[in-house]
Amino acid sequence: MTGLILRLLLKRLVGTVPLVFAVVALTFFVIRLAPGDPAFILAGEAPTPEFLAQVRAENGLDKPVWVQFMTFLGRAATGDFGKSIFAGRPVFEVILERLPATALLAGVAMVIASVVGVLLGVSAAKRAGSTQDAAISVLSLLGTSVPSFWIGQVLILVFAVWLGWFPVSGMVAARARYTGFNHVWDVAVHMVLPVTTLAVYLVTLIARFTRTAMIEALSQDFILVARAKGVGSRTILWHHAFRNAVVTTVTVIGLEFGAVLAGTVVVEIVFGWPGLGRLFYDAIYRRDFPLLTGSFMFSALVVIAVNTLSEIICAMLDPRLRRT
Amino acid sequence: MSATVAVLSRIRLPSAAMTFGVLLTGVVALGAVLAPWLTNADPLGLGTDILSAPSAAHPMGTDDLGRDLFARVLYGGRVSLGVGLFSGLLSVVFGTGIGLIAGFAGGMSDEVLMRVTEMFQVMPKLLAAVVVVSLVGSSLTNEVLVIGLLSWPATARVIRSRVQVLRGQDFIAAARMGGASPLRILWRNLLPNVSAFVLVSTSLQIASAIVSESFLSFLGLGDPGHPSWGLLLQQGQLFLEQAWWLTTLPGVALAMTVLGMNLLGDGLSGGRAR
Repeated sequence: MTGLILRLLLKRLVGTVPLVFAVVALTFFVIRLAPGDPAFILAGEAPTPEFLAQVRAENGLDKPVWVQFMTFLGRAATGDFGKSIFAGRPVFEVILERLPATALLAGVAMVIASVVGVLLGVSAAKRAGSTQDAAISVLSLLGTSVPSFWIGQVLILVFAVWLGWFPVSGMVAARARYTGFNHVWDVAVHMVLPVTTLAVYLVTLIARFTRTAMIEALSQDFILVARAKGVGSRTILWHHAFRNAVVTTVTVIGLEFGAVLAGTVVVEIVFGWPGLGRLFYDAIYRRDFPLLTGSFMFSALVVIAVNTLSEIICAMLDPRLRRT
Repeated sequence: MSATVAVLSRIRLPSAAMTFGVLLTGVVALGAVLAPWLTNADPLGLGTDILSAPSAAHPMGTDDLGRDLFARVLYGGRVSLGVGLFSGLLSVVFGTGIGLIAGFAGGMSDEVLMRVTEMFQVMPKLLAAVVVVSLVGSSLTNEVLVIGLLSWPATARVIRSRVQVLRGQDFIAAARMGGASPLRILWRNLLPNVSAFVLVSTSLQIASAIVSESFLSFLGLGDPGHPSWGLLLQQGQLFLEQAWWLTTLPGVALAMTVLGMNLLGDGLSGGRAR
């Protein structure tokens, strides 16, 4: 098994090289596309002449474009995304500081969404065509149609402003300085609404795809054989059918991870959550372009990594995919 | 990947759902088109009546600068629907073109085009759009271009797989023997045969483009001179605790439109669209 994983990992890593290259190239291209001198974009609105010269030299802006590109690529490859204008520190450092808050939010939302989405999708497929199935289908269409920031705003209105069950925003209570369990509880209470908001889109998507894959799996001959042998319906559903459908579910989660990250940006704004998304937003407002392009490259690389991971998991789950 | 595309959700909604979808989007679209006849209020005109709840004078209430929300939602609909329509169409035209060429040409061209498609698909689309618009500048044209040019891969994949099936059929061989040029075959033989898929794609892409636009303008990257629904929701965010109508009502218009377009697309495809 370990050998297999290593081989798969190596193969997929090679496959990601052009993707990573494309992301960095796009970023470079966009910076060049922006009106004005790229040095000003990287150095901020009113740099001192010395700093401007330093930025020019560091990025090789006095050299031909292809040399500039190679410099940019080389630096990005080593995790050097430039320096944040506002923070005055390396972009990568600023990102790492904010990463835990976002990872917590997105991680919990993804776990919950996967469980709920799979349960909904399987139960809809079990009784395909029933009222329950139709209800799940309509709800999931609704969930993919509504932008997540609006869902967040409505949740705040109902559960924070009117009912007062949860705090309106933030990650911890502003004045209280809880420790130990109280701190964990405080964060958990603050997480309920943003996690729900972020999970809605994923739940509906996972439910839709799982349902389709389950209906497909349940119509196969081996299910008929299992039924004929007298295998219990629960075992058939989860052990025989879902094992075939789960690859679709994992693929969807991987493919939609980029959308989840975009979702965290707006969810963090709506709920005042101090993570990467807020950082991204602040970078837009402060016109902190190195931070903006750096966070973009970082996010894109994470998306590529998650995609690769989901492909490897799929190959481990389904031996038929190992040959490709 | 191709396995997932093949088993993409097949929810079968009755055609009643489709009619309902047309109705939902239709009501909002009609409101946007007929805006000057439905309200006398100026969407950008300031007033003294600030943050007032919906009333006879202001059917949807007013915002913090006394602007009439009803007028802002109607005129904002013009922006959201306009950007959605044009960027949706752009992405479908682009995606259909690439899908047709990749599917018909096969071989190296197909390989290269599909690699590029894959790159665009893995790219976090909305974040890329944010970076491009904040660097290049925000205007309605830029929004349309960015959303349109980042959203074509889904269409390209659907059309390509369809063309791959059609390519081997007799009528294409017959057209070839009749001396038709590849371009003519693409235009006269293949395009009409994938038109149903193009139609489905168009309605789903417009829906998704409207959401993308609202994302950009929620982040303040829309055209400030032409407030769209996303911008209204961003402004409402500040007054969430004082004025529920500022977020709820523009959001309902947005949700109605997008749900309507999705119902339509789903219905057109017999639930096989995604």
